[in-house]
Amino acid sequence: MNILLIVIVTAVLQYFGPWWTVVLAPFLILLWRPATTSFRSFATGFLAIALLWLAYGLYLHIRSEGAMSNRIAEIFSLPNGILLLAVTSFVGGLLGGFAALSGYFTKKAMP
Amino acid sequence: MKFFKAILSLLIVAGLVYVLNRSWGPVPALGSFLSPFTGFWQNGENPVPDKKQIVLKVSGLKDDVIVRFDDTGVPHIFAKNDYDLFFAQGYITAKDRLWQMELQVRAASGRLSEVLGPATLTLDQKSRRLGMGYGAEANLKLSMSDKRSEKALTGYTAGVNAYIGQLAPRDLPVEYKLLGYRPEVWKPINTMYMLEQMTLMLAGRSNDLSISNVLKKYGQEVVNNLFPDYPMLQESPIIPAGTKWDFPKLPIPVKNPLKTSDSIAIQVSNTKPFLANSHVLPPAEHKPEGIGSNNWAVGAEKSITGYPILANDPHLELTIPSIWYQVQLHTPEMNVYGVSLPGIPSVIIGFNQNVAWGVTNVDADVFDLYKIKFKDSTHTQYWHDNQWKTTRKREELIYVKGQKEPVKEDIVYTHHGPVTDTDKPESGTPNLAIRWIGHEPGNSFLTFYELNKAKSYGDYRKALTYYVGPAQNFIFADNGKNIAITVNGKFPLKYKDQGKFLLDGTDRMDDWQGWIPAEQNPFVKNPPRGFVSSANQSSTDPTYPYYINWLFAPSERGIRINERLTAMSKVNADSLRMLQNDNFSVMARTILPKLLSVLRNSALSPTQKAAEITLSDWKYQNNPESIPAAIFETWMPLLQESIWNDEFNSDNQAMKYPSRDRTMYMILNQPNEKWFDNIKTSQKETMPDVVLSSFKASLDSLQKWHGKMSPDWQWFNVKGTEIRHLSRSLKPFNAPLIKTGGGAGIVNAITKRNGPSWRMVVELGPVPKAYGIYPGGQSGNPGSPYYMNLLKKWENGELNELIFLSSPDQQHPRMTASGITFKKN
Repeated sequence: MNILLIVIVTAVLQYFGPWWTVVLAPFLILLWRPATTSFRSFATGFLAIALLWLAYGLYLHIRSEGAMSNRIAEIFSLPNGILLLAVTSFVGGLLGGFAALSGYFTKKAMP
Repeated sequence: MKFFKAILSLLIVAGLVYVLNRSWGPVPALGSFLSPFTGFWQNGENPVPDKKQIVLKVSGLKDDVIVRFDDTGVPHIFAKNDYDLFFAQGYITAKDRLWQMELQVRAASGRLSEVLGPATLTLDQKSRRLGMGYGAEANLKLSMSDKRSEKALTGYTAGVNAYIGQLAPRDLPVEYKLLGYRPEVWKPINTMYMLEQMTLMLAGRSNDLSISNVLKKYGQEVVNNLFPDYPMLQESPIIPAGTKWDFPKLPIPVKNPLKTSDSIAIQVSNTKPFLANSHVLPPAEHKPEGIGSNNWAVGAEKSITGYPILANDPHLELTIPSIWYQVQLHTPEMNVYGVSLPGIPSVIIGFNQNVAWGVTNVDADVFDLYKIKFKDSTHTQYWHDNQWKTTRKREELIYVKGQKEPVKEDIVYTHHGPVTDTDKPESGTPNLAIRWIGHEPGNSFLTFYELNKAKSYGDYRKALTYYVGPAQNFIFADNGKNIAITVNGKFPLKYKDQGKFLLDGTDRMDDWQGWIPAEQNPFVKNPPRGFVSSANQSSTDPTYPYYINWLFAPSERGIRINERLTAMSKVNADSLRMLQNDNFSVMARTILPKLLSVLRNSALSPTQKAAEITLSDWKYQNNPESIPAAIFETWMPLLQESIWNDEFNSDNQAMKYPSRDRTMYMILNQPNEKWFDNIKTSQKETMPDVVLSSFKASLDSLQKWHGKMSPDWQWFNVKGTEIRHLSRSLKPFNAPLIKTGGGAGIVNAITKRNGPSWRMVVELGPVPKAYGIYPGGQSGNPGSPYYMNLLKKWENGELNELIFLSSPDQQHPRMTASGITFKKN
């Protein structure tokens, strides 16, 4: 449930705002509805953002037949756009994961 | 512990955001770059373009503007007045080419370092020292004082800015995302910078120093002998030999009879590193052969249509996106199609209902160096016309990314121009002033604007009078069945060879003495031979009364074009397309039989013998698959070097080499000249020795790079033509390897990096039928289906039919459903 919430809120925030809004929803939603463990919190945020970036990136990659992503991959010495997509979602996942973890720990730290 | 965990994890998040929000060296800020919502992912476009009609509300427009796109992405713009028209041209051009437009302006105005950092500082300094801004500002003043150009510039500017204004970060061209900056507001002066950049590219260098060094070392007699003012072996001038000059000649200035050549100093070194803070220009690069162009027009009696047919292919550095941008511009007063230069309103090469025109470069001597005598090291006064005159200073501030303080330079100006070059690089201070056509105030834009609207030969001749530079051979054809060519530009009135050598900055008689009247520029209308043409060769035969230059591009392309056009009859667009793709080597025809006769009398190894046989069987066609073409093309430069290097290559003084024409003349007619001897050896070499040794060296070189003689020696492979992205460094944005023939001195002038940047053929008539292509596409976005969609056809030498609509609602099978309507607000 949290994953879905994060995905939806982040998609809206990212569409209108700058890239770093990506950390807001995982933090706030885990602060509001913390998971049972810190690991689960991290995983929630990680999966939500990684999935979101993966899905949207994959859509843009397929729609353009990799016209841009394959070239950018080459600039970064990666073999193809799909691998670049994996890197992209991993970076997004890290951001989401640590933001969610922060939300969880902050909740715990609150009286 | 709870607090610690919370704070630590928050710090990690903050750290991640910080690290991903800034660039690290060449790596862009990865957060926004990778995010699919803002990053490069957004720049990949659907290969099947969306068919959509966009309506945009715009304030400032006087009427609605309709833009339709055809299936190659070319915009067809329909407006009711000039302002609206150029607004839309600016908007649409920016939509496809914004990064290119801005980069070129930054390069011209010396502002690259502002966004790219210290790496481009010397480039910027060069632009500043040359006075690109000085020229652009002078031109802007004139342009804004004429209603026509003022409307075009303000409209175009507003259009570009309207496009920039609606850009969300995710819509930025990918180069901005990669390099980490944003487009800035467009200004009318940017168009002037684009024109300056063209002047720099086509008329921005001189041989004055290198030929003066030859004079100093070998004397006047050798210079006269090796550097004649007209080709000795073969030429086919642009204005047919024998054309009468029936105008009242102006008195021609004379050289100061008291002048000796003692004031000319040898440039001691050009291998020294360029001193970044010495205010001295880096040694000028030679304009590579391959920057030039072809154009021709055949008259009605030679064509199958009964109307003239015109062709043009400008040869420039081949980049992707193309330097050109196709567009159709329509108002009630005009309807024109052709190629524009992103950043400049109007069409530069094209056609309308009644006329067609094109350009090739003239190579006029309009960049001269004057030796200045300063009173003292403050450079505030200089000696001229027997008195001390005061210099002016122009402050140039170059902002550099990552540095707080701008780099500041005060450039000294005499009445000649900026003092920024030197014949004594070791001194570190400039002592040569540049007199350059790029500083001459003018409104060359008007020439193109008026050509866009031209209806007749008279309109064409009038339009040309506005032109200053870079001088071009303007070719013309109209529905009245006229054909014409004018060697056109503002030409200084000079004594013969004034500016061939370094000039004396103290002597009034060495100043430019006025101008050749525009109507006396060389031109020809409807010549008896039934065609007009140019390929950058000598403008006229030596009977033309004024001096334009002593050296033009080699004659081979012109010779071939004129031979072919003389022989051709019942010409149509396709036969002219074939001529644009002609791979015949006049150079080989001229010299190869002689060279082969030398080889036949020499002892050759089996490999050399095989190469000699291949060459003997060759029909002088530089076809892509030809092995003999590759051998010959490798051999010729080596042959020239082995003749001249020993006398003319020197570490401490740059000297001009004799031309290819002069070299071939010597091989054919003067085999006993002393120049064949290599003065660095004790033996006495003769012409056959040099021919043989360079032949062997060329085979060795081919073997070294391409292995034993095999299909790897095919000309296209040896030539290795590549079309690079404008950044010249983002390799994945380059075009794939291409397979083309041609070469330098070939009508199909594709060299490693330069070539036909646009090929156009226009059949005039009641309804003009036109064809054109450039290597690339309309869009500058590597993720667009229009990025390289025209490349394959260009590589194959094919042309696209250019869709010339007569009204905004005309149906055409190749028009798409997508378009933009600008609604006035």
